[in-house]
Amino acid sequence: MLPTIGHAAIVVALALTAYAAIAFGLAARRGDRSAATSGRRAMLGAFGLAAVASVALMASLLGHDFSIAYVARNNATTTPPFYSVISLWAALEGSILFWALLLTGWSALVLHRYRDRHVELMPWVGVTLALASGFFFAVMTWPGNPFERLVPVPVQGNGPNALLQNNPFMGLHPPLLYLGYTGLAVPFAFGVAALVTGRIGPEWLAIVRRWTVIPWIFLTAGIVAGAWWSYEVLGWGGYWAWDPVENAALMPWLTATAFIHSSMVAERRGGLRIFTMVLVIATYVLTLLGTFLTRSGVVQSVHAFTASAIGPWFAVAILAALGGGIGLLLWRLPALADRRPAPELASRESAFLFNNVLFLAVTLVVCFGTLLPLIVEGATGGRLGLGAPYFNALNAPIFAALLFLMAIGPALPWGGASWRTLRDRFGLQSLLAGAGTLVGFGAGMRGLAQLGTLFLALLVIGVLGDEVVRGTRSRGRTRGEAVPTAAWRLATRNRRRYGGYVVHAGICVMAIAISVSATGASQASAALGPGASMAIGGYAITLDRVVEEPMREDPRVTELRAELHYSGTRSGAVSTALRSYPNSTTAIATPGVRTFPNEDLYLTLLQADPGTGTATIQAFLNPLVAWIWLGGFIVVLGAAFAAWPERRRVLAPASTAVPAEPLAASSPSVEGA
Amino acid sequence: MRPWLRWLILPVLVGPVGWLLFANIGVDPRTIPSQLVGRHLPAFSLATLDGATLTDADLAGRPAVINFWASWCVPCVDEHPVLLDAAARFGGDLRIVGVVYHDTPDAARGWLGRYGDGGWPDLVDDGSLALDFGVTGPPETYFVDAGGVIRHRVVGPLTTVSMAEGLAAIGVGG
Repeated sequence: MLPTIGHAAIVVALALTAYAAIAFGLAARRGDRSAATSGRRAMLGAFGLAAVASVALMASLLGHDFSIAYVARNNATTTPPFYSVISLWAALEGSILFWALLLTGWSALVLHRYRDRHVELMPWVGVTLALASGFFFAVMTWPGNPFERLVPVPVQGNGPNALLQNNPFMGLHPPLLYLGYTGLAVPFAFGVAALVTGRIGPEWLAIVRRWTVIPWIFLTAGIVAGAWWSYEVLGWGGYWAWDPVENAALMPWLTATAFIHSSMVAERRGGLRIFTMVLVIATYVLTLLGTFLTRSGVVQSVHAFTASAIGPWFAVAILAALGGGIGLLLWRLPALADRRPAPELASRESAFLFNNVLFLAVTLVVCFGTLLPLIVEGATGGRLGLGAPYFNALNAPIFAALLFLMAIGPALPWGGASWRTLRDRFGLQSLLAGAGTLVGFGAGMRGLAQLGTLFLALLVIGVLGDEVVRGTRSRGRTRGEAVPTAAWRLATRNRRRYGGYVVHAGICVMAIAISVSATGASQASAALGPGASMAIGGYAITLDRVVEEPMREDPRVTELRAELHYSGTRSGAVSTALRSYPNSTTAIATPGVRTFPNEDLYLTLLQADPGTGTATIQAFLNPLVAWIWLGGFIVVLGAAFAAWPERRRVLAPASTAVPAEPLAASSPSVEGA
Repeated sequence: MRPWLRWLILPVLVGPVGWLLFANIGVDPRTIPSQLVGRHLPAFSLATLDGATLTDADLAGRPAVINFWASWCVPCVDEHPVLLDAAARFGGDLRIVGVVYHDTPDAARGWLGRYGDGGWPDLVDDGSLALDFGVTGPPETYFVDAGGVIRHRVVGPLTTVSMAEGLAAIGVGG
């Protein structure tokens, strides 16, 4: 029964999205408001049906209904309920359903919110979102049916991928990432609408700004959560491997970040409009490409589900989005072109322009490195991969340049800065950052990567702090507010700006932590007998015993565990294990991580023998890793502050109106006038 | 520039992307083709764990299974019974050669003591033989026919099924 309901819901949802696309098209051609209303309701219905199908699949997973192929492949009678539920996004077909659910959710939300506004733009936004959603329902109707039946019905299923049921974090990382990916369809839809209607002024940018920042928050959180998962679960001692699918998530993040910046110039000064439009199109195409890489089995990675029949479908969708987007852009190119003179070098416009160029450069480096193996294979049939050294060597200087821009950009005035302004804004900060860098050197930081990053990051924080202090002081003086009130009001009256500063500060924290953890980590490995010790950094690590036993949560899983204790700088107990899942040929390493403010002690079990009680342990000492996660948290917090809806200004009745900000020249009460 | 020229961007951009996407569809990333399959095995002369020396010439005349492994390699434990079984069944028609990959001789000897020594030679490799073979990581196994030509490669732990496939490729047990 459930599979029939689920499948029917998908087919009807496909029909509804097709109807919505036509209805919105009619609304656009004839200005027919009732057609737009009808299309909007159809999209809401599609969202409801996607929810019905998702619940049906979750219930089938919970009920271990192995007559559904997806359930048989990804579930077993012993799978704990939590992992059964999140198996909705643990493999190909289910994750496409989940994707459709989130995409129709965003679509319904946006179409509802702007139902009475932007009457020229919204029908085209509706057409784009209906087509984008319809694609996923079509994939589920034909090549990727999540409710595909299996005959004869097996008595037992395969169980979820061992790696994915090793940590409850699987419940959080994919939904965050998918919310980010799917949400980025919204700015693309507005971009398409702006190009089709020719309304390429500030109108669409004002809407899209927020609708880019919100998915950006989810995407950022998803990427950081993925890095954390990789670090805490995979047991190789690192958090970022330039894995093709990590790159696939990073590329739209880079272009979306560039878009958020260039849209400010486009909106305020009318510049960088072509750039902005290219970034919107690129971001959406890259989210599809990411899905293609992840879902079609084109690249080998922890994320690659399986080589499957949906590949050609995604290839066509990517080409349609790319060709359609670029085609529209070329059509409107004359109108988008910027005919004003190039901006001053030391101006905020220039900083934004360089920012865009650098973000695009990183994107190209990452894109080339990710796709080169595919190019080589497509052309020659051979296999070739670019490793982390390629990505690190090329990207490190670009990221350093971005940090530098982050320091100077926010303090540069629009239009252009005089030499004196530059000295005022950056002189003291540079000296302070230099002093801070010396302190870092004293604390043991070495090398250009660590000290250079520290200097630039401190410069950013110094300049931002100075901006906040200046703003607060001037507000306190003109309004007579106390410092905390003035600071809070300053920030909440201009959330975008000050939220952005918090994001920048969080990025700086991450940059320092990444530079130090990437270049300052140490590792050691040793085969230990019972009671034997190994040394790493200031720690002695001693093996207490080796245990082999079935896991309590799932007795089909055997855990081979080394129990250890460490002493020295700090002391305590830690254990690390190898888990053997019945459906996996290789044992899954479960690292033991002890996190301290200055470093992580990270132990992985390579091999152990319960008979003799010996274990081979690989130990890593990773400095400052905790600050990466903290920095990520600050970034998300700052972006959420920036995207928070601003309070609508309530207009007071004219009779009692008081000028909010008396002009200095006309006001006798201004002190010192 | 003539205005229509800008439309050239479209095929220039979409064409290669389309080629890239379609050229890679249907390729299973888990099958790693080896450049060496169909070629003669690389020359070597290496010491074994027992202190003898073995060269590629010694392998001529009999099909061989060359297995890269290490004492720190967890899946090597899983596949070891498959190798022991093949040695027991086809010992006369087949040579098995182990290559100890990035490991110390002592650790390797200890491991064999624990999991069973099949009596075949184990070469101690400084990494250059693995490089010549293009080994991605242990366990990895090459099937070489009586003429010294590499016929098949298995990446990851051997199973009874993949062992049977490999042996069939070099004419053993068929």
